Amino acid sequence: MVMMMAPGGTLEMAKAVLDEGADAVYVGVVGWSRRGAQDELNDDEIRHTIDYALARGKEVRVVVNTLPSSTELPMFVERVERYAGWGAQGFMISDLGAMRLVKERLPHVNVHTSVGCGITNYEDVRFLRELGADYVVLPYRLSVEEIRQIKGAGKVGIEVFLFKTPSGGKICPGKCNMSSYFSFRRWLDTEGKDHFFGSASRGGDCLRVCQTDWNFKVDDIDYRLPMTIKTNPALWLEELPDYLAAGVDCLKVPGRDRSAVLVRDIVRVYRRAVDAILESDRPDLSVFASELETLRGRWMTERSKRDNRLLRQAIDESARVSAGVAAMTQ
Amino acid sequence: MFELSTDVGNLKELREGDFSAYDAIYLGDFSCPEYPNNFSSHAELLEAGLQHVHARGQKAYLRLYAVPGNDDLAWVGDVIDTALQLPFDALEVHNLGVLRMLRERGCTAPVHLGVFGNLYTHETAKVLRDFGVTRVYPNPELSLDEVRYIAEHADIEVLVPVHGKIPLVISETCFILEHSEEGAEGACGDGSCSYQCTQEHWLKRGRDDGSRADWSLKDTGRMTLSGKDLCMVEHGERLADMGLKHFYVHNKGEAPGYAAAVGRIYRDALARAFAGEAAPDFAPALDTLAGLAREGLCNGYYFEGAGQRYIGRS
Repeated sequence: MVMMMAPGGTLEMAKAVLDEGADAVYVGVVGWSRRGAQDELNDDEIRHTIDYALARGKEVRVVVNTLPSSTELPMFVERVERYAGWGAQGFMISDLGAMRLVKERLPHVNVHTSVGCGITNYEDVRFLRELGADYVVLPYRLSVEEIRQIKGAGKVGIEVFLFKTPSGGKICPGKCNMSSYFSFRRWLDTEGKDHFFGSASRGGDCLRVCQTDWNFKVDDIDYRLPMTIKTNPALWLEELPDYLAAGVDCLKVPGRDRSAVLVRDIVRVYRRAVDAILESDRPDLSVFASELETLRGRWMTERSKRDNRLLRQAIDESARVSAGVAAMTQ
Repeated sequence: MFELSTDVGNLKELREGDFSAYDAIYLGDFSCPEYPNNFSSHAELLEAGLQHVHARGQKAYLRLYAVPGNDDLAWVGDVIDTALQLPFDALEVHNLGVLRMLRERGCTAPVHLGVFGNLYTHETAKVLRDFGVTRVYPNPELSLDEVRYIAEHADIEVLVPVHGKIPLVISETCFILEHSEEGAEGACGDGSCSYQCTQEHWLKRGRDDGSRADWSLKDTGRMTLSGKDLCMVEHGERLADMGLKHFYVHNKGEAPGYAAAVGRIYRDALARAFAGEAAPDFAPALDTLAGLAREGLCNGYYFEGAGQRYIGRS
């Protein structure tokens, strides 16, 4: 049976998606996931979410998918052991070393590789399975045929996002440091935990610098109108029966950084769609077309607001650094 | 004492360039299999490249394609099979699947992890060591102290880039082709590439008032690089004191002559630092390096909050 997993960017969102029919909720730990603190949960909220899910026969996945500093790893393991002790059944992890440490200490928990692992082919998946991964999350760009090939390569759970980008293009996330190149700060808190501004890989928000207007120049001559340099993913539905037939085990609703109301409504639609597919050999998904179109529009609107906010932060930080450089050189 | 290395994409560049300042050469462009006569995708050219490098008393490392999809694995396998018959001093991988393929084929040559291998911790370095990796290129986001920590705690060689543009993002298709007039008709990888990447391509975010751009990136088609050049020429003594020994100059995307000029400067600066000599006046070297760096110099992430700033010795 395919598992539908939905985001808990806030405690309110976590409860809402479970109420709407998600089989599992995934929640990020403050400072340890690829999002800003406003979209992560503190320990009290995580414990509350786990209790809420377990009481309803559902599961919780904890997102600890930053690429940590070496010196943070003991703290990382301590955190994972704590949440597993509270009843979390799985963890999303990017760092290979952290993955092995978790599997050595907690062989019974599910390890989901994160997008930070940057999978591009079925041999990657074999490598990660041998390291102990129970689920691998595939990038947004793969075709159904590629997913089928990966599923055939070995016994591991296949997790896909319910949004995607066209095949090709710059690989994000997992192989991109553009945000931190322009705006990067690092600091330690009183417990020795690393915090970062500007790097999603290391904890925090990607500042979406790809979404500003870029001029593309050849030997100093502009030859295109200003443009963004990455395509944004969009919600999809039509190919869902093919994905399930290809052997997808886990459907991941995106949106930790969206509003609880939007994510709730997305889960509501996808729950019905997945149930329709599971109950029929010839499901009629056209009945969801109108709702999906509305959700796509709402998604785009919220993304645009978020991108503008993050981009402004990047520009301000970059200006602050430039001003510092100017002051130093005077 | 120390090793200084750089990269060369194909035989023509190898024969025409002056790489005498380097102890080792990374052969191939790991980002683009279509790059003309790329060692990374032309098995038939490997022996000639290897012989050229070895004849000059240098080590030869072969770079393997960084982001293969399922359909690429067969030809990548062919390149590996040829390479394993030759006395390469190491093979460089960026992809876990390719690393697994090397192990499956019984590779006994040293394996290096490349910049897109996402190496952040010593524990990951230990995992990779178990798969035959002997050297890692830590993610550019790491500080110098974090790099040293990995070197000290994972019993593994660490490659430290000391000069050149910083690889920031990699693509599966060509950004240049996709945004050219031809790109509207052809598709990257279909054999129609016209190698427009031989011209310099820059991405620039303009200021609202039309004055000089405040953000710059260099694009080589399938890879986007920092606009500024990482420069550590003033910090050789610090690198030596940290016990770091393997240094690298990024050459991909640069004009002919770049690697030679930069290599001479670093050969001299690092030799002095490792000999314990007093630091020289770096002004002439910095003038030359700044002249080669169209968007200026920086220290990357080495000094944590430094970002695009350049911090000198003082």
